[in-house]
Amino acid sequence: MRIFKIWLCLILFGAPILTFAQTRTVTGKVMNSTDGTPLVEATVSVVGTAISTKSGPDGNFSLSVPQSARQLKVSYVGFADETVSISSGVMQISLTNAAENLSEVVVTGYGTARKKDLTGATASLKEKDFNKGVYTSPDQLIQGKAAGVLVINNTGQPGGATTVRIRGSSSIRSGNQPLFVVDGVPLSGGSARPGGNGASYGSDGGNPLNFINPNDIANIEILKDASATAIYGSRGANGVVIITTKRGKSGIPQLDVSGSTSVSSVLKKLEVLNGDEYRAALKDYGQTGGDFGGNADAFDAITRTAITQNYNVAIGGGTDNGKYRVSAGYLDQKGIIESSELKKITANLTSSFKFLESKKLGLDLNILVTQTNEGVAPISSFVGFTGNLISQALQWNPTHPLRKPDGSVWIDPALGATTINPLAQLEYFKDRINTNSIIASVAPSYKITDELEYKLLYSVNRQVGVRRGSVDRILNAEGSLGRGTAFISNNEQTNSQVTNTLNYNKQITSRFNLNALAGHEWLIYDTRGNFTGGQDFPNIGLNYYDFLGYATQSSLRTGSYASPTTELQSFFGRAIMNFDDKYLVTGTFRADGSTRFGKNNKYGYFPSIGLGWNVSNEDFLKGNTSIDNLKLRASWGRTGNQEFPSGASLNRYGLGQQSIAQSNFGNEDLKWETSTTTNAGVDFSIFTGRISGSVDYFYKKTTDVLFEQNIVQPAPGGRIWINLPGFVLNKGVEVMLSGRLMRTKDINWGITGNVSFLQNTVDGLAGFYETGELRGQGFSNVRGQRLVNDQPLNVWYLRRFEGLDKATGQSVYADGGNTLYYSGSPNPKTLLGLSSDFSYKNLMATINMNGNFGHYLFNNTAASVLGIGNLGTRNIAKNLINQPIKEAISNAPAPSTRNLEKGNYVKMANATLSYRVGNIGKNIRNMNISLTGQNLFVITKYSGFDPEVNTDAGFGGIPSLGVEYIPYPSARTILLGVNFSL
Amino acid sequence: MKPIKILIFLFITFVAISCTKLDESFRSELEQSSSGNITPDQLLISAYNSLNGPFQTGDLWHVSEHTTDEAIAPTRGPDWDDNGQWRALHAHTWNADQGQITGAYNGLLSSQFSASNVLQFNPSPQQAAEARFIRALSMYAVLDGWNQVPYRSDLTNYKVLPTTLKGKEAADFIIAELNAIIPTLPDTGPAYVANKNGARALLMKIYLNKGVYSNRAAPTFDAADMNQVITLADQIINSNKYSLNDIFYDNFAPNNDSKSKENIYTLFNNASNNRGGNVRGAVFQVSHYNMNPSGWNGFATLSDFYDKFEANDQRRGMYYDYPGALPNPGKRQNVGFLIGQQYDLTVDTALKDRKGNALAFTRTVKLRETGDNLEITGIRVIKYPFDYGTSGDQKNNDWAIFRYADVLLMKAEAQFRTGNTASPLLILNQIRLKRGATPLLAVTESTMLDERGREMYWEGWRRQDLIRFKKYLTPWQEKPTDDPKYLLFPIPSNQLSVNTNLSQNPGY
Repeated sequence: MRIFKIWLCLILFGAPILTFAQTRTVTGKVMNSTDGTPLVEATVSVVGTAISTKSGPDGNFSLSVPQSARQLKVSYVGFADETVSISSGVMQISLTNAAENLSEVVVTGYGTARKKDLTGATASLKEKDFNKGVYTSPDQLIQGKAAGVLVINNTGQPGGATTVRIRGSSSIRSGNQPLFVVDGVPLSGGSARPGGNGASYGSDGGNPLNFINPNDIANIEILKDASATAIYGSRGANGVVIITTKRGKSGIPQLDVSGSTSVSSVLKKLEVLNGDEYRAALKDYGQTGGDFGGNADAFDAITRTAITQNYNVAIGGGTDNGKYRVSAGYLDQKGIIESSELKKITANLTSSFKFLESKKLGLDLNILVTQTNEGVAPISSFVGFTGNLISQALQWNPTHPLRKPDGSVWIDPALGATTINPLAQLEYFKDRINTNSIIASVAPSYKITDELEYKLLYSVNRQVGVRRGSVDRILNAEGSLGRGTAFISNNEQTNSQVTNTLNYNKQITSRFNLNALAGHEWLIYDTRGNFTGGQDFPNIGLNYYDFLGYATQSSLRTGSYASPTTELQSFFGRAIMNFDDKYLVTGTFRADGSTRFGKNNKYGYFPSIGLGWNVSNEDFLKGNTSIDNLKLRASWGRTGNQEFPSGASLNRYGLGQQSIAQSNFGNEDLKWETSTTTNAGVDFSIFTGRISGSVDYFYKKTTDVLFEQNIVQPAPGGRIWINLPGFVLNKGVEVMLSGRLMRTKDINWGITGNVSFLQNTVDGLAGFYETGELRGQGFSNVRGQRLVNDQPLNVWYLRRFEGLDKATGQSVYADGGNTLYYSGSPNPKTLLGLSSDFSYKNLMATINMNGNFGHYLFNNTAASVLGIGNLGTRNIAKNLINQPIKEAISNAPAPSTRNLEKGNYVKMANATLSYRVGNIGKNIRNMNISLTGQNLFVITKYSGFDPEVNTDAGFGGIPSLGVEYIPYPSARTILLGVNFSL
Repeated sequence: MKPIKILIFLFITFVAISCTKLDESFRSELEQSSSGNITPDQLLISAYNSLNGPFQTGDLWHVSEHTTDEAIAPTRGPDWDDNGQWRALHAHTWNADQGQITGAYNGLLSSQFSASNVLQFNPSPQQAAEARFIRALSMYAVLDGWNQVPYRSDLTNYKVLPTTLKGKEAADFIIAELNAIIPTLPDTGPAYVANKNGARALLMKIYLNKGVYSNRAAPTFDAADMNQVITLADQIINSNKYSLNDIFYDNFAPNNDSKSKENIYTLFNNASNNRGGNVRGAVFQVSHYNMNPSGWNGFATLSDFYDKFEANDQRRGMYYDYPGALPNPGKRQNVGFLIGQQYDLTVDTALKDRKGNALAFTRTVKLRETGDNLEITGIRVIKYPFDYGTSGDQKNNDWAIFRYADVLLMKAEAQFRTGNTASPLLILNQIRLKRGATPLLAVTESTMLDERGREMYWEGWRRQDLIRFKKYLTPWQEKPTDDPKYLLFPIPSNQLSVNTNLSQNPGY
């Protein structure tokens, strides 16, 4: 807080200092780079200050700038911004039409390409486009920002996991998360963060991307269709997200500092009865017991207003032959649930050097080091009927105090052995995770000729995680009361990569440009883990997990695991051809070999072709003033998914205690699943860039679908990995539209929106498969979702609720509840993202909204935690009383469509108001202060905590979607941030 | 151009060096090809363990008991609805998707595989015989419930579908197997190791039920089969290894491995080395939340069944002192059928339910409870005295599969079915005397069945017994008359969809 106060002082006293600075005058002319015509009303501003002007009718400008000013930024609608160093004399500044920005280069798989040459469906997001707020991982930055990309924060836990789907779920059983690539290093999708050992420990697996500091990210490319992703072969089918971290710029070292403090509170509290209402309800239902006379709000007791602090410093600089950027970040995020927190320290070095007199030898060296320390609240979705912290708080009898008069928490047998005081659960429970990650990469390169470059990339991604947990012997948790339990888990993960690439880039004739790539890659994944746990510890002021050796012999458990060798070897190539700036062809090919694949299918081959036609460069459109850019794209290609466990192709024998058993039948034909994607799209920009956008249609058919099918018994294990003879089909339309609505000297207003319509079906399954495990009391062995032919993936399959019987107050179901019905899909049919930025002089406002529509969520929290039957022992949902039909207290809250709700929502994900203070004195430059609100409101009819939810309710390895079960609640956050440079 | 050549050479070299054969190797598991490291004794332990899942209060137990007049899992308001699966079992309205039926079928067949697998790894003759006993037991249970027994003879190629043995064919196969292994099985040793008398008891079960396997709706009993039952029983009796225990519950107590004189074949449970199944679940499933152990307040029995017992019959319940018991200063009943007020067995205070009412189990119980006392309805059954002495999930009570009393009752029944009534009466009264019940004056088919119920309740035999005595389709409490198709379980739809050698049982 002290640093924060210093900043505040700087803000308050900075402005007067500014006025005493000396000034000088800069003059120049702004023109169109293609024909040299003057650009009128172009904005010329001094970088790092609020000083700006507009160019006159002849393109000329004159501006008084401080002595300390170094650079000018010139911008004009429809043209790419240009930043130039201030020079004496009349400066000539040429802007390039954005539509035909020849120089703009975007990151693609294994290299870069000119944006105008692209034929694939991609989305490119820069730092300014990212969501603003408290984010711990990069996937949260792009939520709602790109068409066809679904990002769900599964829970509200700090650092919690997300669900990311690019163009829907194309796989049934194997992974659906896209491939993330950080500065050329493809990530395995896993992390070394150990899971909880025992049911009551927090079950959110954490986000495996947490080790990346969002503040270090310069841009994110999302590759969606096969033309873009086929270069990633057997890992490209779910789309690819390429993250590029910030680089140093040549020049004297610049120190960037940013800091923020934010305050979070619960986004939504579920309505349960308070003490008085509870008493009234007891009376109404003729219950004699259950009133302890008090008034307690247990949910309030476990939640808090949480403070998060985030500081980042970065130093960048260098020369043309050696650039570097070093950054450090510190995040201290307190969760809105007491005891939960995430502390993260990151350090990142990126550097790039050129050697030899010819400067042909290059070297990139990157190191990213992260440590996270988490305090995890006892919120697990895998708990039995005694529930987790959230359900214990929701169910707490509101007439019973949480604490005794002496301040200690009440563990009261009168409330029953199975009723756990949520405060006791917090107090007598420990769960801490420490994860250390390092990604180091070294990439020497050599320019063999001006056109041909060889590059070697070697990287190591090493992570270690340790988790320690204990439940005190005082807590009346099942199996722990009077005993105490504790465990320690360790995981480690080492992934290495060797990538060789040859890149050839040449303007072969004036009308033909070729950008070609050939490469080889070798990846090795290695994970290990071990755990020890035990019971029966004394309370002697020490943490149980620090003296595990005390445990009774019979309670000791231990185990260890090392993954099978997992290697991937690949050969790939790509050619991007541009004929006359009109006709574009991209061809890619990858051959992937994997240790996972069965011996009969060691290599998979993934080709793609993309065609583009820059219609606006045709003669018949030359000179058309309203159309800046019109490009048609079409692509076809094959990509794969190989996210099934190692060892599935071989017969394995597992080692149990003093015993061995065959654990599976290996399928030696097992191979990747193949997604064949056809994509057609159009990019356009009209009225000098005032309106631009793109429309894409895709048709993605996944065959050889990886699936763990029921095996014909007698057999080892219950299932066998196969490539299904059927298919999963995803098709849809994505629209992205961007409009610059106002553009005057002081006011600038733009809106960008994207919408996607998705459809998904599955075919070729033998029989049906259940998932969507619904939980809670009376919900044992209940699965609410199915995989079955001709239905959407994870279709709901439930009893149909038809209301309450007037006479008996019992639930009425279609066909007496003996028939279950297909009851809708948990997959959103429509995804929406909407952003707007508005600036007035130095004041800027941005909002980012997102929404999902057309899907159903199962509110398992309402179904099994707050039912009417709790009355007399535990609390109930407020909406159950004072209804036209009085529900019988004995009515079983059976799984049915009663708790299946429409999931439609629109969320104000974040809104930021920022003020550009500019330079303060000679030293502080580019100061910016901002106020951001995150999760400000949600428009929805969904009655649970947050319609953006995905509690893990997978069964038998088949993932679920759209279940809410006593999750870590979402937070609403207000954030105050400052950043500046030195 | 020379540097180019050098670099291309380097590039190729890099590629060549990093080329890999992509062979997968395991580090925490063994591959089939490394079979030299896999020994039959380790596989045999896994095969024994594989029986725990289905048999010990597992799915096979559920489908064998909840479908009868002995057990019920009422829907208690917010609890035990579980999508109606318990109601479907008791009311006989299940279908081919029923979870417990699928679980039992797959679990038993998985045991068959585990047992067969031992034979692939050069077992000793005794190990082979033990494995074949385990296989016979699991196949017999599938035959009994489903009539179709997939048998996998090729354990290496999963693409070869198992052959389906049906009815008598399966029975003959199992009989041949058992006869083949009896000479090799051990005569003595712990009850949890497959032994001669265990195999004989299993043979008795098959001969006794053989008439059922050819016609479940109207079984007839071949005298030759009955004589086989009698002969086998006499072999067991004459081995002089078994006698009836003075205290019934010694057969189920935590130390039953030493105390029981009746247990012929058991499933091994041991708290200290973690082998075993969920025997504690037998108590958790009935125990109220506020009892010790704090249970799940689920299963009960029906009053008509309870009323079959005399008050002094040990089997109806008693105060039982055993190693690992709570102090029980009031000497309250702690085993058998729990009815009425329950007590804290440490300090002898009356327990209350979660709403503060007396925790007194009622006679009446309904499949779907709607009253205000739904936490306490139904008489609870504790056959396996809870092992309070060990703290973990694993308990020491071995799970009884074949008991001497069962052998005696089977012999009596076989004699009865061949027209002999004098000897059965002696046998029944021999048992009743030990259990503290008054002697019967005569035996009839229904006293035969009732005595089996009183002796063997909650041990997983009731469904088979009711079918053999043609009572399975008759109505009883909370169950109407039903369709003959329920005499067989359906082939689970998840197996039917992948195994074309199976056909659905009639009516499903």
